[in-house]
Amino acid sequence: MEQKPKSYMNSYLAGFLLGLVLLASFFITGRGLGASGAAKSVVIETIGSISPEYAEAHPFYASFFAEGDGRPMRNWLVFLTFGVLGGAFFSGFMSGRAGLKIDKGPRISNTSRLIFAVAGGILFGLGSQFGRGCTSGAALSGMAVLSTAGFVTMMAIFGTGFVIAYFFRKLWIN
Amino acid sequence: MGPLIPQGFVNPDLNLFFAFVIGLGFGYVLEQGGFSNSKKLAGVFYGYDFVVLRVFFTAAITAAIGLLLMSYLGLIEYDMLYINPTFLWSAIVGGVIMGFGFILGGYCPGTSMVGAVIGKIDAMFFVIGMLIGIFIFGSFYDTFMPLYHAADLGSLMVYDSLGIGRDVFVVALTLIALAAFIITRKIENNVNGITDAPKGLFHRSYTAPFAILLALAFLVLFLPDSPSGKWFEKDAKALLEEAAAGKQYISTEEVAYKLLHPTENDLVLVDLRSSDAYSRFSLPAAVNIPLADILKNTSKQRLESSKGKLVLYSYSSTDADQAWLLLRRNGFDNVQVLEGGLNGFFAHFFNEKAGETEKDQANLFSERFKTRAEDAFKTGEAAQKINAKASPVTTIVDIVPPPPGKGGC
Repeated sequence: MEQKPKSYMNSYLAGFLLGLVLLASFFITGRGLGASGAAKSVVIETIGSISPEYAEAHPFYASFFAEGDGRPMRNWLVFLTFGVLGGAFFSGFMSGRAGLKIDKGPRISNTSRLIFAVAGGILFGLGSQFGRGCTSGAALSGMAVLSTAGFVTMMAIFGTGFVIAYFFRKLWIN
Repeated sequence: MGPLIPQGFVNPDLNLFFAFVIGLGFGYVLEQGGFSNSKKLAGVFYGYDFVVLRVFFTAAITAAIGLLLMSYLGLIEYDMLYINPTFLWSAIVGGVIMGFGFILGGYCPGTSMVGAVIGKIDAMFFVIGMLIGIFIFGSFYDTFMPLYHAADLGSLMVYDSLGIGRDVFVVALTLIALAAFIITRKIENNVNGITDAPKGLFHRSYTAPFAILLALAFLVLFLPDSPSGKWFEKDAKALLEEAAAGKQYISTEEVAYKLLHPTENDLVLVDLRSSDAYSRFSLPAAVNIPLADILKNTSKQRLESSKGKLVLYSYSSTDADQAWLLLRRNGFDNVQVLEGGLNGFFAHFFNEKAGETEKDQANLFSERFKTRAEDAFKTGEAAQKINAKASPVTTIVDIVPPPPGKGGC
């Protein structure tokens, strides 16, 4: 990139706008935002097309194919995520932030960063199923409707993060 | 009014289109806020960058207060919003696992997609890991089941869990967030070694959001119980005048005529009595919505979906008058009340005519008359039997317009 990336938006303004997007979502569709749901649809669709027998035999997959005309990709959260990809790409491209890059702490190599990224992804994928949604679906949307689940999930995620941060400081700081 | 799609204001087929549009906004704001950068995201745990906390808290409070205000103004039906159910243990275990995932991976699902699409390689690897994680959950679904479904508390609200009022909770949450904004700025400056930062509690970067959020939170707290009028409500005074002039009534003759001439029938009869009474007898093709249920969403939807003029009735017209006021006030324009109610209807026709009708009809009529008489004595209508006034509409099956009589209950 020749041009210097633009700086990020003021955090409070970004938060306010994100709140308005969330509000619009509730006003139009009656539900909040979500991201892990789309990943779940991808997994289910993939397993369903690779091995329909396996999917049929497993309750986790079978229930999905039984409802919603058996098309996990024709799903609200999947289309939301298409939008997220489009909106994020537009924003990153216009602000000169698009381009291959690895963000990491100063003390670890690219390879270890990627290994930890996969590990983190696995844990988040697993955890989001238990939590019935991730940071956006369960915590943020749940807090917006003042549900206990939203606050519990939020505190569990960030509480754990603060407790264990010290042990993993090598990943992020000097 | 809202939510638009569940309430049927917007075609459900547009659901996916709206999902895409909302997603565009979601992705744009996340990227602009700096959520495509795992180093920035992880900063919240090490004190060098609290962007996650600021954006997250501000967004949650904006949406929470916004929903309450919209609900207050009648713009959104809070009961129809999706409240994620609380499965306590599953939520805690899931949250803890996600906390580990956050520290190790530096992303959460939404932000990893934002990062991946603008070329962050670590984000792409995170996404791959996430798919694997979901697959693992699916594979061990049977093992996880008991935990996944343990401690189902339903759609529990956080202020109920804490045992405090909803509005008080919102103000408290806002104050906690504002305190967190102040403290984290101090920490951030310390960690990053910024020594020339302005002293003092307030900083202009958050004066405006402070003021707005706090003002709105207090607005929620101090608003009276319910607004004097919602956007869709009819003016109470105008309704009173209509009611005083008796404009809400439709004559028994008109109703009877239309019932007998289906091609000219533009009426939808609404029986306001209990479902027991309705199942014993009712007028042909009437729908049953007990008065107590008249303002329920399901009832409103049923009434909204019916084409034609709504005609309300009960035994007399008292219940129907009440329902008429409620429906008119809630924005239904095409509503009338059957004058005299069921009692009036039967009194009007059967008393004078039982003798003239054909045999099988006569049986039917006497059957109905017995029921009616029973009801008439119970409601006391029989005691004040009067004659009906002559009506301009000449009627049904060469009935001579009956003598004048009875007005309501």
